Amino acid sequence: MAAQTHTRQHPAFYAILVMLIFMAVGPIVLMLINSFKLDVDIISGTGGLLFLPTIQNYETALCDVLPYELDHLDFCALKFGGAFVNSLIIALVSTLLTLIIGCMAAYALVRFRFMGRDVASVSTLMLRMVPPAVLLVPVFGLWNNEFCLDRDGLLGGAIRDTFGGRGDVCLAGTHSGIILIYVAMNLPFVIWILQSFIVQVPRQLEEAARMDGAGPFQVFFLVVLPLIKPGLAAAAIFTFRIAWNEYLLASALSDRDTKTVPILIVNNMSEFNVEWGVIMATGMLLAIPPIVFTLFASRQIITGMTAGAVKG
Amino acid sequence: MPEIVFDGVEKSYGSVRVLPPLDLTLHDGEFTVLVGPSGCGKSTTLRILAGLETLSGGEIYFDGKPISALEPKERDIAMVFQDYALYPHMNIARNMSFALRLAKTPKAEIDAKVQRVADMLNIGHLLARKPAELSGGQRQRVAMGRALVRDAGTFLFDEPLSNLDAKLRGKMRTELAEMRDSIEKNMVYVTHDQVEAMTLGDRIVVMNEGVVQQQGTPEELFKEPRNLFVAGFIGSPSMNFMEGALVDIGGEMHVQGAGFDLPLDATTRTRLDTATDRNVTVGIRPSSFTTDTSGATVELRVIVAEYLGAQSVLVTKLGKTELLVETQSTAPFKSGVTQSFGVNTDEIMLFDRSTGLRL
Repeated sequence: MAAQTHTRQHPAFYAILVMLIFMAVGPIVLMLINSFKLDVDIISGTGGLLFLPTIQNYETALCDVLPYELDHLDFCALKFGGAFVNSLIIALVSTLLTLIIGCMAAYALVRFRFMGRDVASVSTLMLRMVPPAVLLVPVFGLWNNEFCLDRDGLLGGAIRDTFGGRGDVCLAGTHSGIILIYVAMNLPFVIWILQSFIVQVPRQLEEAARMDGAGPFQVFFLVVLPLIKPGLAAAAIFTFRIAWNEYLLASALSDRDTKTVPILIVNNMSEFNVEWGVIMATGMLLAIPPIVFTLFASRQIITGMTAGAVKG
Repeated sequence: MPEIVFDGVEKSYGSVRVLPPLDLTLHDGEFTVLVGPSGCGKSTTLRILAGLETLSGGEIYFDGKPISALEPKERDIAMVFQDYALYPHMNIARNMSFALRLAKTPKAEIDAKVQRVADMLNIGHLLARKPAELSGGQRQRVAMGRALVRDAGTFLFDEPLSNLDAKLRGKMRTELAEMRDSIEKNMVYVTHDQVEAMTLGDRIVVMNEGVVQQQGTPEELFKEPRNLFVAGFIGSPSMNFMEGALVDIGGEMHVQGAGFDLPLDATTRTRLDTATDRNVTVGIRPSSFTTDTSGATVELRVIVAEYLGAQSVLVTKLGKTELLVETQSTAPFKSGVTQSFGVNTDEIMLFDRSTGLRL
């Protein structure tokens, strides 16, 4: 075993590397710096790095969840905290649902033979080709008019009594409404990702488990699922990111209480005043959960999970 | 430990029939080897027995009870797979105890059983490792251990040694033979390797194209093969076949062909009730040739001498027919030399040319 050595590269190679790093990290650094500046400092354009850092932007952004009163703010207009919680609920629940349904559907499509299997397999992916904007109008109509519980009905009445509000209880404007459409939107792709992972699980392992006395569900949960963990993690990152960033559908289907962070940020820009500092601060806060989630999920992606299962 | 009876078991995939009706009885406590070339239906038979494949017709009985409708787990069967099929995300101890844990066996009992079997197979020190950290031979042992821990009535082996190198295979074969003697269970072993079949089996079932050609002890199959297929499949190096005809020369029956004329011994003569001028296939085992040329002889041209140590296998030609000759290595043979070899005429086997059956 020779010690690993790096051969010296051409200087241009390093120059390209530095440029790539600058292009990738530059905007984020810029956002981070500006999030600690007052709007006056940002717009004045003087001295990029010479300023008095302030957390005022962050305070403004989080004004609805901070336990203390803010001096610079008369009225907390920005409900970032609430939107953040909405985003978390919607992204996490929709990711979880997508994974649960997706892994079972993928398993069935790969392992079971039934009529219309190939049709089901292809049509799920074709559904993915439809742009969300096309879905928006019909879904908006359905969520507002069709999937409603009568306010005089048993369940609808109970919900109105508990949570208040007027009119029939509809999917539009609820977390469930947004979660549902995100699950529908992400499911096809997740099924396709997971199919390719499940195909790689040796059939003999499942047979061995059956011989060992496992029922179909035990085979799935105790043998197949642990082996497709990397696939689940990849699918989770993908789904969470889309749900977290999605703007179009959420803007139409959410109401004042279920607004997600991307919508909140856009709402913060008006034709009279763009609060750059606050936007930068919310941008930083918005970036944290996907990063944390990705770091956590990518730990599960260990290549060669099935190594040692079969053969020598 | 049940007696297993296959009664007209069939298997078809659509219109493709892979197993014509099969009748077979596996006796209690016996080590049965199903042997045959690839695609002969032996693995399918085993998988049907395990319950991993459904059967298309017929029925399997365990001690007289039909079992084809039962799930694999209800059949009291443990199986060792060709590719080991160890669960890669579990360590060895958990691999071995998987079935017991599913059966909700008390933990102390599981630990004791796993430890006992692991010690028996010399894998006690590996229990905390994952399958990926084990060598091929160790994985093979774990796969066997996983089956043994369950204490099932019947053990199935699906070509368990075919992925090991030659030396390890020999070692594992010996260990299996020891295990066979120490464990009183039904064992069904599938292989395409006739050496494994001969060394391990109490009884060997030779299959070809889904049909049982012959079953019996290793010795029976070697000495009294029923047809051309069994004669050619069993024995290593394999039997030589030549075209010949039976002729009566002065009251003695001879078998003649291109370049040879061999008298038949008394027992073979009485077996062949009458008929001279019959066209036959002559089978002579490589070991039936000798360097002692006092009796019947043939002239063979040595093409290649394969030196194996104490013995050599000569690839020779008689006219255009290639014949293998097994001899002691004491006398060196030169390639390209034509030489006389004696033939033990009492070991000559004759087969009907059209049916392939032994005469």
